[in-house]
Amino acid sequence: MKAEATELELSHGLAHLVDDHTILVRRTLRSGQRLCYNGNVVILGDVNPGAEVVAAGNVIVMGVLRGVVHAGANGNEEAVVLAFRLRPTQLRIAGHITRPPDDETAAPDQPEVARIRDGVVTIEAFPGWLPGR
Amino acid sequence: MGEVVVITSGKGGVGKTTATANIGTALAGFGHKVVLVDADIGLRNLDVVLGLENRIVYHLVDVVRGRCRLRQALIKDKRYDNLFLLPAAQTEDKTAVSPEQMRELCQELGEEFEWVIVDCPAGIEQGFRNAVAGAHKAIVITTPEVSAVRDADRVIGLLAGEFDIRDPKLILNRIRPRMVRYGDMMSIEDVIDILAIELLGVIPEDEQVVVATNRGETVVQDPRSRSGEAFRNIARRMKGEAVPLMNLDREGGWVEKLRRLMGFK
Repeated sequence: MKAEATELELSHGLAHLVDDHTILVRRTLRSGQRLCYNGNVVILGDVNPGAEVVAAGNVIVMGVLRGVVHAGANGNEEAVVLAFRLRPTQLRIAGHITRPPDDETAAPDQPEVARIRDGVVTIEAFPGWLPGR
Repeated sequence: MGEVVVITSGKGGVGKTTATANIGTALAGFGHKVVLVDADIGLRNLDVVLGLENRIVYHLVDVVRGRCRLRQALIKDKRYDNLFLLPAAQTEDKTAVSPEQMRELCQELGEEFEWVIVDCPAGIEQGFRNAVAGAHKAIVITTPEVSAVRDADRVIGLLAGEFDIRDPKLILNRIRPRMVRYGDMMSIEDVIDILAIELLGVIPEDEQVVVATNRGETVVQDPRSRSGEAFRNIARRMKGEAVPLMNLDREGGWVEKLRRLMGFK
């Protein structure tokens, strides 16, 4: 999948909001589909089992994340993975790899965010963590 | 040098992956060192059936391309320390690997494992050719349906003609003895009449297979399962033991037994 990043004209004073390139994917990623991007990825859909998202930056899924996701793939330990429903087969951030425990009970029905805290991938309810708070 | 066995069928959905998982687990249960190779690149399933999907980091194509060492791609089974899986890639296709590369890979695996069992994709195109390339022996699996038997026959011909695997063994899967008795399903004899190869085993239809598969488990782990027993018997025959075919007419619950007692067929 190719992303054509276009430089946007930003109003004066908003330049500090621009960090990386970000792409918007307006569909569900199905098994066997792999999305690789050198920036942030926002998906307006689900990521099904067998699909893979690899991003240098953050990954946001506005749907159910059931596949494999790798945020901060170039080694960025600050990267986060956020999903409306976070049910990944496997979740990687920078050099850390995690998977849900085999005896996993029902996951919470709310948006969650995964990020590295003290060297461990930690998953929290999304409203519980906002940047700068 | 270990034995490299490909499990193939031609037709899809007849039970290649289920058979691979169960036979591999059974052989591991008997103490053998086993590796299962998922050769269905692009449509991998074996990892899911074994409940190992979430452990995959590297896969077969990574190994072949030199992106990782073979050791790194092998996934140890949850239940048996002597059972390993080499998963397929999901985001590549069959052309990512060549028969020559598969031959080398199977050779390398054969040096470390007693049994290398290759789960073949459906079809007779490149995926099939890759899967068969490194194998010394083949197991052809079919169900008692004319279309499945036709495809099995085609595959047996290809194995002998192009790959020099002359004595494939047959597994007849999902047989329903009651339907056979009423003449509504091909019998073991009907199938062997057409295919004319040695029978390795017969698996009765069993709903538990669906249950176990969906949980990432295998029926051979269940000591009470009839299909599990059939798969264990197949593994023992592969080891060279002489195990008689089990009596499939024992299937059915008390109603069936009562019918027989009362003299109904």
